Amino acid sequence: MSLKTFRGGIHPPEHKEPTRDVPIERVPTPTSVVIHLTQAIGAQNQPLIKVGDRVLKGQKIGDVQACPAAAVHASITGIVKKIEPAPQSNLKDGMAVFIEADGTDETAYMSPLDAFACSREEAVKRLRDAGIVGMGGASFPTDVKLAPPADKPVDTIIANGAECEPYLTIDYRTMIESPADVVEGLAIAAHIVGAKKAYIAIESNKADALPVIERQFAGHSHGILMGTIIAATKYPEGGEKMLIKAVTGREVPSHGLPADIGVIVQNVGTLKAIKEAFIDGKPLIERGFTVSGGACKTPKNLYAPIGTVVADLIPGVIQLSDDVRKVIFGGPMMGVAVASLQTPVAKGTSGILFFTAAESKQYEERQCIRCGRCADACAAWLMPMLLNAALLSDDLNRADAIGLVDCFECGACSYVCPARIPLAQRFKLGKDLLRNQRAKEARHGK
Amino acid sequence: MENKAMKLVLSGAPHFVTGYDIQKTMGMVIIALLPALAGGVYFFGPRALLVTAVSVVSAVAAEFLFRKALRRETHITDLSAVVTGMLLALILPVSSPLWMAAVGSAFAIVVAKELFGGLGGNFANPALVGRAVLLMSWPAFMTRWSPSLHAAAVDATTTATPLGILKLGGTITDVIKSVGASGKPALYLQMFLGNHAGCIGETSGLLLLLGAVFLVVTRVIDLRTPVAMIAAVFAASWLFGRDPVFSVLAGGILLGAFFMATDYVTTPVTPIGKWAFGIGAGLMTVLIRQLGNFPEGVTYGILLMNVVVPYLDKIIPRKFGFVKPRKVNA
Repeated sequence: MSLKTFRGGIHPPEHKEPTRDVPIERVPTPTSVVIHLTQAIGAQNQPLIKVGDRVLKGQKIGDVQACPAAAVHASITGIVKKIEPAPQSNLKDGMAVFIEADGTDETAYMSPLDAFACSREEAVKRLRDAGIVGMGGASFPTDVKLAPPADKPVDTIIANGAECEPYLTIDYRTMIESPADVVEGLAIAAHIVGAKKAYIAIESNKADALPVIERQFAGHSHGILMGTIIAATKYPEGGEKMLIKAVTGREVPSHGLPADIGVIVQNVGTLKAIKEAFIDGKPLIERGFTVSGGACKTPKNLYAPIGTVVADLIPGVIQLSDDVRKVIFGGPMMGVAVASLQTPVAKGTSGILFFTAAESKQYEERQCIRCGRCADACAAWLMPMLLNAALLSDDLNRADAIGLVDCFECGACSYVCPARIPLAQRFKLGKDLLRNQRAKEARHGK
Repeated sequence: MENKAMKLVLSGAPHFVTGYDIQKTMGMVIIALLPALAGGVYFFGPRALLVTAVSVVSAVAAEFLFRKALRRETHITDLSAVVTGMLLALILPVSSPLWMAAVGSAFAIVVAKELFGGLGGNFANPALVGRAVLLMSWPAFMTRWSPSLHAAAVDATTTATPLGILKLGGTITDVIKSVGASGKPALYLQMFLGNHAGCIGETSGLLLLLGAVFLVVTRVIDLRTPVAMIAAVFAASWLFGRDPVFSVLAGGILLGAFFMATDYVTTPVTPIGKWAFGIGAGLMTVLIRQLGNFPEGVTYGILLMNVVVPYLDKIIPRKFGFVKPRKVNA
């Protein structure tokens, strides 16, 4: 069977062995959490509580009347100690609610809602109230994603279990351990957008999760046509556009969205959260993530309340070796190196990696030798070496003309570059500069 | 755990890089050139090795000293100067004076490469620039050919290359006689094996292809450019009434196509650009052979195409997501 895939991509070492077969471990309820008020792409939330208030697990503590945005909830029961900026995994300090546990386990969940009986508006509102966001890392509000404009009918929904980032195994474990929840969530999501077909797509290195999932189709598909797809093990197979290309052969148009071609992609962890929001009335207050890396003596998969501070897990849950030099939130390809162990787990945290000095080695950047490896690796079919040349000569217009904004910063080009040029990083910066320049031009009526 | 002593590294994603770097790339090219160099020693004697050694040492020393003089970081460990020195030696006659090889490769490094900013900044292939300069400066040394030590027919100390014989008005029959072959098929075989007069590393198609296969399999080079160049030489030679097979095997076509027209820095990066570059270099080479004063045209053919690379790089291939939106079956 030839595996479905896209053109481009790379094969970095997987490093999944240390955690692949380690069951997800629920961490002991922390004595305190730091919950950032805004954890999704979109508008800034306002606090709904005051310092000194007692909040219940599952109680909404931050929201805003805007779209897109996603509510946040207390993940433990306790007292609000303070509301002030705290480090978060995007390196910017964001306003956060500090809650100290009072030792009780009272909850304030919503009442269950039957997604197949309620109206579409009610269902979308439930996603909004439960604060569901894409848990693969992008943190885009799910209620917005599952309510595309009426002129863009969606016929296919894809559960993204590709998990192409090295080290990470939390999506795999979720599929193995909670297949019914994933399938149920997929059926609910498919029903909400009106998709006729639903696929679960994984990379070939996780093929053993497929039978486990397929066994749940009978009981949880709710009449939606479901299938499984094995895609090639290749980075960035789990990129939304790449996965759609691999599964359906359709290309999301440049500057467009998957809904433009009738497809929606949801991470498997998000689907489990969707199931919990409807069937259990539980908002997104906990999530699974992988801890691994050369400096992590206890590689494993964890399930912890949102807002759990990394430092609080050490050394009770996670033990580190002495030469930790880098802490990454997310995977090694697109994750963010954080400055402090005081950073809390957020809705978008799929993994926390601890790298040794050797793994954190910095390289000297050389001049581009135009070997073309970046172009072979580019999943967006760009010419990274030419983009690099344009940006180095400050020619933003040229960079724009040859597709700067089509780069989705997967980092494959940087990974293969023999001259060690930080291409993806430069393109990210270039996109910011271009956005600023275009905004300035617009202001000056150019 | 509050560990105040812990210092964390902050850097942009990805936090992961392949072990493959410039040094390894150049190392692969050096390995791929070894069969051709060995052929040079076999056909023209140990002096071939001496010329190559002098050229390599001169190239590396020139790069080191030039960058030191400019107080810039030296990068001789990336092995790119070794490649330039080797390539230049392989396109020199074995009888070249050692000082000339040294001058040529120092010129190639300093003028063609470092003055343009070093590896990655040069627009023309340094080894070919070196050869072009030597050809203009000391044409007598550059056209003094020794016969292969294993040639059947001749016992002279100097001879002409197969292409030289044609340029002097000879026919393919004269060429067949010069290598002591019995007929055309035997000539092709002698040419392919490399048993004829020519530059140190250019004569043996077999050994060059051996290196080329290695570079293709290890994905160091892209096949588009060499295929286009060889096809263009074949077709254009045929149109001019020259023996096409002989034309591909003679002179520096195979060395040029696989090792010079695939030089990363001085050739196009896009697929269309690579095809165009190969075809252009092939055509130029044949035009020079047919209409010019030189018997051989690979050097100038490729150098001329080096100049138009910035234009070829403007032809950008289709990007992901640039398709007409298709109808969705609701």
